[in-house]
Amino acid sequence: MAGQVAARHRARARTLSIVIALGALLAPVVATAHELDPGFLELRETTPGEYSVLWKVPLKAGRRMSLDPVFPTECSATTPVSSRPSGRGVMERWRLECPSGLAGASITIGGLERTYTDVMIRIELTEAEPLTYLVGSTNPTVVVGAEGQASQGALGYLWLGFEHILLGIDHLLFVLGLLLIVQNPWTLLNTVTAFTVAHSITLAIATLGWASAPAAPLNAAIALSILFLGPEIVRVWRGETSFTIRHPWVVAFAFGLLHGFGFASGLSTVGLPQAEIPLALLLFNLGVEAGQLFFVLLILALERAFRVLEIHWPRWAEMFPGYAVGSLGAFWFIQRTWMLLGG
Amino acid sequence: MRAALRLPVGITRARGEVATSRLAPAAFLTALLVPGRADAHLVNTGFGPFYDGISHLFVTAPDLLVVAALALLAGLRGHATARGTLLAVIIAWGLGGFAGLLTAPAVVWTAITTGSFLLLGALLAADRELPVGVVIGLGALVGLIHGFLNGAESAAAGIGFVGLVGSLAAVAVLATLISAAAVSLAEGSTRVAVRVAGSWIAAIGILMLGWLFRPGA
Repeated sequence: MAGQVAARHRARARTLSIVIALGALLAPVVATAHELDPGFLELRETTPGEYSVLWKVPLKAGRRMSLDPVFPTECSATTPVSSRPSGRGVMERWRLECPSGLAGASITIGGLERTYTDVMIRIELTEAEPLTYLVGSTNPTVVVGAEGQASQGALGYLWLGFEHILLGIDHLLFVLGLLLIVQNPWTLLNTVTAFTVAHSITLAIATLGWASAPAAPLNAAIALSILFLGPEIVRVWRGETSFTIRHPWVVAFAFGLLHGFGFASGLSTVGLPQAEIPLALLLFNLGVEAGQLFFVLLILALERAFRVLEIHWPRWAEMFPGYAVGSLGAFWFIQRTWMLLGG
Repeated sequence: MRAALRLPVGITRARGEVATSRLAPAAFLTALLVPGRADAHLVNTGFGPFYDGISHLFVTAPDLLVVAALALLAGLRGHATARGTLLAVIIAWGLGGFAGLLTAPAVVWTAITTGSFLLLGALLAADRELPVGVVIGLGALVGLIHGFLNGAESAAAGIGFVGLVGSLAAVAVLATLISAAAVSLAEGSTRVAVRVAGSWIAAIGILMLGWLFRPGA
């Protein structure tokens, strides 16, 4: 009896810790879930002063984001821009001529300062090591090869992964839903591990180009995975059971496979040499795991704090996270299905 | 705006951004003790105003130390006092912040914000049996003052209401975690460790005040 009361108390504390976590980390970006894919700019020097440009612009709400690289005024395009859709972005290619070369030149991503999106810039000069930069809204300009503006190489992908999970509210909401369902620490460990393994598998598969999932149905399916957890959370409240409640790790693994394809959208390896892709993939995944682990640990720490402080919450507050998970899952599913159907 | 410090956070990014976070303890202490030029927008995380607001708490020494000292002080008085103080500081921070956001005054209250965590640190180190009402009242008072300044800074920095909500969320989470830790540590010899933390906070306050009021400052 005492054990049941303690378990219920733990469950309530976890529920409320999720209220705080939801409010603290998720609410501000609800409306922008999955609109934060990074851009990618590659400049490859073919002959001195001549460059092949590859510019992958992410989409926002299905439209090309208003981002464009700004080169030094002496540079000029020598071919028209060829453009084609590519996954969740638009791929553009052209050739650029810069008589004085790009070493020491400033390149700005115009429009980036108005977004939360990052852009990875990769520059291959004929007589230098490749340079890789990560620019964002606060720092949309790079000076090629400048001292004090270190080329990050593949390390930039670590940050991209961390950023992708923290701003990818749908992924975090799914993790939250799982936390609401799991009943004990061992199941929690199994479940989080299963989700991690599963999304790592499909992230790798998608990044290495072995398989891919079309963006629109994938996003709808990810929303469905969140919606799926809503009724399961209600069952937990009612003391009922189900396959998901008994074996949440199975559900975490199955849906984790879907989420992995979603993570892949944040990892743009277009243009990267094959040799660099595994390292980029590893670091990106590590960044994702670090963000996910931070989120889970924060919730667990808050859960413990509420128990220690003996904070009791009103019933509506206890139920809020479950309804938030279900409602947002339903909203996104309808929204994304509508977009999928061309609405 | 009041003095605050910048700490490198995150990873190395391109131009004008934060540097790596390999801070030597000495550099950290120096940064804590030397109030910098008033600067409203301390950290631009690139994640948007909400995350900027969260970061703001962690790079503003007076705010961070006052929350830590208050949470430890309340935690030592038991879970009931901790709960009351937590509620008081969150509400007061929110109300003060909203007032600061609306009025957006260009004020410099460094001595007051430093004095507030110095006072709380000293009370924590002394471990006096303060009445519950006094601890909660202190929580409300520092919440109003620091929240007001946070709101004013959010307005000046252009991160507005969302930034304020971010800093309020950070205060709530940090105060909850520290209060719970203090309640757990309140019994036995570990209580001394909490008091020692209070003495360090007070010492930092004294050094900061000394710097503020040094001859020729």
